Parts: sequence; structure tokens; C-alpha cells
Amino acid sequence: MAETNTQELTFTSSDGKNMKVPRDVAERSLLIKNMLEDLGEATEAIPIPNVTENVLTKVLEWCTHHRNDPPTTGDEDDSRRKTTDIEEWDQKFMQVDQEMLFEIILAANYLDIKPLLDIGCKTVANMIKGKSPEEIRKTFNIQNDFTPEEEDQIRRENEWAEE
Amino acid sequence: MVLSLGDLPEEILQSILLFSHPSGTAALERTARRFRGVTNEPLLWRHYCLTHFKFWAPKHDMSAKLLSPISAVDWKGLYVSRHFVDIAAGQLLDSILTNQTGRIGKFQSVISFGYDAKDTLLRNLSIEPGAEDYLARRFYAKALLTCLHRSIAIPEWVSLRGGEPVPLAHALGAFDLFIPESRFGNLDEINGRLDEVLARLRLELPEIQTLSSRKKACAVASFLRAHNLIGIQPGREYHCLEHNFLGISLDDPEHNSLPLVSAVIYCHVAQMLGLNARPCGFPFHVYVIVIPHAGLDIDGNVIGTNIEGESIYMDPFRSDREVPVSELRTQLTFLGASSLVEQSALLGESRTSEIVARCSKNILNSLQRLNQLPGVRSSPVDVGCARYAALWSSLLFSSPLRPAELRHHLLWLMELLATDFPSDIYLIEQYIAPIFSGTLEFEHLMESLHVIRTVDEIPKQVKRRSPQYKAVRYHVGQVFRHRRYGYMAIITGWDAECGAGEQWMRRMGVDRLQGGRHQSFYHVIVEDKSARYVAEENVQIITSDVSELPPALVAVAGKYFKRWESTSREFVSNIKDEYPDD
Repeated sequence: MAETNTQELTFTSSDGKNMKVPRDVAERSLLIKNMLEDLGEATEAIPIPNVTENVLTKVLEWCTHHRNDPPTTGDEDDSRRKTTDIEEWDQKFMQVDQEMLFEIILAANYLDIKPLLDIGCKTVANMIKGKSPEEIRKTFNIQNDFTPEEEDQIRRENEWAEE
Repeated sequence: MVLSLGDLPEEILQSILLFSHPSGTAALERTARRFRGVTNEPLLWRHYCLTHFKFWAPKHDMSAKLLSPISAVDWKGLYVSRHFVDIAAGQLLDSILTNQTGRIGKFQSVISFGYDAKDTLLRNLSIEPGAEDYLARRFYAKALLTCLHRSIAIPEWVSLRGGEPVPLAHALGAFDLFIPESRFGNLDEINGRLDEVLARLRLELPEIQTLSSRKKACAVASFLRAHNLIGIQPGREYHCLEHNFLGISLDDPEHNSLPLVSAVIYCHVAQMLGLNARPCGFPFHVYVIVIPHAGLDIDGNVIGTNIEGESIYMDPFRSDREVPVSELRTQLTFLGASSLVEQSALLGESRTSEIVARCSKNILNSLQRLNQLPGVRSSPVDVGCARYAALWSSLLFSSPLRPAELRHHLLWLMELLATDFPSDIYLIEQYIAPIFSGTLEFEHLMESLHVIRTVDEIPKQVKRRSPQYKAVRYHVGQVFRHRRYGYMAIITGWDAECGAGEQWMRRMGVDRLQGGRHQSFYHVIVEDKSARYVAEENVQIITSDVSELPPALVAVAGKYFKRWESTSREFVSNIKDEYPDD
């Protein structure tokens, strides 16, 4: 076990930077984990084509902090989605600008790091929570492209949701 | 290009919305065209339905909906309709809490939502003690929930009474719906438990279906007994109140049940395995009769179409083996039923309505024994609720040949209704009144119902602390111990002098009190839920902490009080419409 823990891999980000990653940290990504299982030993640098260095650094920071978390199983989907609570460290971790937040979400999705993807999605869900459509537009810089008639109709359809 | 929310792929937006509250999703839909599709995804709304609401009225036929193709159900529409029920039920409860007037009608409106109201009620029932009116909220949410459960149970009995086929487990499970502690809210939940037992048996005895009826009957008994699913554990008091309830017995790890309940469990499982098993009409002890299928004997041999095979008798409560019919006949002869005609009637199958009537008698019997052994052990089943269930079933199923018993039971039922279950008045009007139509009791009954409704609709007479009442020392919400009888109670009202009738005063010896009838008197609520009327000289105010008060007293306090106030060490009034200055 000690051997697998100390083994180091090299990742190459989409902008061509190399980074050293302990194997157990890298294996938080199911994409990498499955790849390593297929390959056996990885001797060469592993390209991560969709993720830039600054995003990859951030993602690996999360993986390092959570390297000893128990692995997630597939069948807890529903109980997982019932709660929008985020633990304190993760909350702080997610205090980044919106662009970085979406980048982390995309990277977590690509690298198949389910718990990180969930935290990202919860963070966005919490940003929507309790807001009016106009406030949501402001928060996410969304352009209203409805005609006044359409807007009126959708408002009526969703009247139930207003306090 | 700067990445924004709208640039995220559909599947990620979908994941975000799974964590979002439905009202947030609805707000996002209104921001731009980009989000219209993803916010209306049927799978998303199906998810909201299932995570926000656990209980669904039978009209939705949820199990069928869940099996149908996703597009065949308007999940968003369904969510929105449940959302409206949730809001409406919540508002009705709020209105019940803020005013003592018109509660019966509001109760009925909540009940009319059926099982759809249950999630709302459960949420209010588990409200944190920090809430401003947590005691009242919990009390009335529980009252509504138990009323809702009864409104599911009683129609089941009424169908049975009307001659419709009602499964045994439903007829008996209806008793559980009266008991809050049973934690069952509808009959499917109890059936589910029985199905689990059946599944366990099938797993353990895969060969069961290859056996003859006789062997199968014994195998079922021995399986149920080996797992202690029926019968009563040695050393337990036979007549314990909780042994009368099918759901409680299935749920309890010890699974104690009276022979009647054991027989019903046995019959249900046996019937599901294809046996024609029914409780037997034998007196004093419930046996099970297993009837062979047409044209066969009990061992499965063909005996010709017009010949009836001999039935066998089982006693699952006591034994794995069949009981020889000769033994039962000897017992009957000993009991005085010696003629063959009489014996075959008593050895025949019992109708489901007879089983319910028998269970009702057993419960009243257990309650009587509980009274005779005061303080031995508090029952895990609410005594008032058990009695109420027994009286209801007795009125619906007792033989009309015993009018005196019927009259008594009606009287007791009406007393319980007035003190503990006033919200059930519409159930009485709908189901009990017709039984007495044309009798002398009918007029009395209608009169009492009319009085209850009128009292409910008239606003309470306001009693301010005006100078004429300056002699009244104590106020609503104070806790006291009765100087003579020692019980703890809470003041819920007062009079400047004894306001009870002359007869009551004479019976209670009011004039023998030191202060006589011309002293302040208090309406109080006691931990046994009873309302009493106490002279000021017997009131000894106590200022303990709420944690030192009996939990039953604190729970029943919710009927009149919002919460406990730890600085003044008294309950905060929720009857300001009656006593605005207290």
C-alpha cells in the first residue's frame, strides 16, 4: 500500500504545463483511475486536454484535501441530492469567481470526480435559491431574450412558485 | 470568451437543477429562452415530486405512474398541484392555531386533501422547539394526522359492514390507524409488512409451493412460530393492550400478538400461498380452518367434484401442528354446545366482520384489565385512542340484538369525541348517525352533534382582567399541583366564583371547601388529558423547569399554549381570543 501512495504521476494540462501528482490524489478522478487500471503502470506524462493549468491546480487541491475520503458508490444518488449542505472547507474552496466555478464544474465532469461535480452544482443551485428571475439574470449576467408576450405567459405558468 | 451559466452543457445544468429548489428552477425558466427546455425536463420534475413529497393519496396511483414512460405523466403539473395542497394545508393549520373558532370546518378541509396532506402535517409535527408556537403546532398537526388516518380506517369498516369484500388484514389493520404509536398511516403500509414476511418465507422454504395443503399449512405455522412472528413471548402479560394490534405486532421486534391477531397473520400468509385459510368461529380461542380446494382432499388427492374434502384446524398461536377436530368437538361439548348443528356452526369459518367485533371486545377487555392494575406499567399504546378504536368498531359491528350495549358504547364514544376528538364530528355524522336512525338515541345524538358544532362556531366570550375579576389570583399558563390530590395541571381559564351547576357543586362538596363556592375557580388541563375545575384554595403554583414536568403534560399543553417560557416558568397562552390579558 505504501508503494501506491508514494507513486507519482505526471499530468500535462491543455496549456502544456507538467505537474507531479501523487497516485492516490490522481485516483480521485475515476477517468484517471480506470485508465491506470487498463494501462497498468503509467510511465509517461498523462495529457489532460480539456483543463488548463490554473483550473487543474485548483482541482488537484481539492483532490489532495479529499484524498482519504471513502469512495462513493453508485446507488446513493437520491439521498445525495436531497441535501444542499456543503461542508465548510468545500464552501471556502468554492469561493472563486464565476468563470473559475464553471471551469471547475466542467473539469470535474470531464475527469469524472463526482463529489467535486456535486459540490460545484450545489454551489450554483445555492446561487439561484430564493432569487427572482431579474436577480438571477443579474447574478449570472443573462440576457432576457423573451418578447413581452412570452415573458407574460411564462410568468403566469410559474405563478405558483412566487411567495 | 467568458464562460457563463448558459454555456454549460445540458447534462450539467440538469445536475445543478437537481439540487435546486423547484421555485428556483421556475425562476430560472423565466430568465431566458436558453433555460426553457432544461427547466421543464420531466425527469427533473419527477425527481422533485419524489424528493419533496413522500406520501401520495391513492387517487394519484403513484406506483403506476412510476412505472409508466416518463413522458406519459405530467410531472411538473403534479408537482405544482401538490405544492398548492401543501400551501393550503399549511395555511389551514396556521388558521387553526391562531383562532379557537371554526376549527371543525378547518380540520375537515385539511382532511379533504386526504393522504396528500400528510407531508405537510409531518413537517409541522417535527418542528423545532425554537419555533414560537411549537407546542400548539405539534399538538394540532398530530390531531390532524390522526384524524386523517381514522378517515382512512373507518370507511374500510363501513365497506365491510355494507357487505363488500374487505381483506382480513385491512379490516384488522384499521385498528392500527387509530393508534399514533403504531406509525402506520394507511393499510398498504401494513400489507407491505405482511408481504415482507411472505417474501422471507418463500426465500427460506423455496419448495413450499410443491407441498400438499396439509403440509403447507403446517410449514407456514412452523415458519411463523420459529421466527416468533406470532404468539406471545413467555413471561409477557397476555392481555397487554398492544397485543391487540396487527401493525404494532408486525413492527415490534418481539412480535407479540393475541391469538386473533396471530391467526390473521397466519391466514394472510397462507392465503397468499394459495391455501384457503380462514379464522374459525370457535369461542374463546381463535383457531384457523384450512379448507381443501374443490374436488381435492387436504392431501391433494382427487375425490370427485361434488364431494367436499374434510377441513383441518390449525392453532398457529400455540402449535405448528394441526388440531384434531375430535379435540375441538370435545371442548365444545364441555362448553355446553353438544348438538352437531351447534358444533358445526362454531367450527365453521368466521366472517371478517365477526373478527373485527371480536377484536373490539378484546381491546375493551385489555383496557379494563389495565384499569384494574393501575400504575403497573404505562402502555406503549395511547389508551384513549385504543378505546376510541374499539368503540367505533363495536358500534359498526356489534349485534343489533344487544341495544343496551350499543347505547352504552355510543355514550362513551360521544364523551371521548367531545373531549379528545371533536374534529371527528363529521365522521360520526356520516357513519354513526345512520346506524341509530329511527331510534330514540338518534335525536339525542343529533342534538349533541349540533351543540358541538355550534360551540365551535361561536367566538369565545372575551374575559378581560377588568376590576370585577381583581380577586382572581392566578392566570392562564401557570402550572400547579393540586393541594389535595397531588396531580400536576395547567390553568386554562378562570371564573371569579364557582360557575358549575348546583348539582355538580353538591356532588363535589364545594360548600365544604374552606372558601366555599364564592372563591375563584380555575379550568385546568391535567396530564391524563382530562379537563378539570379547581378551587383556588387547592391551587399550589409550582415553578419548576419544563424538563421537570411530565412529558404528557407538556404535550397536551399544546391544546391551549404556544410554547414554554423559561424566564417566567409558565406556558405562553394560545387562547388570547378568550383571555386577552392573561
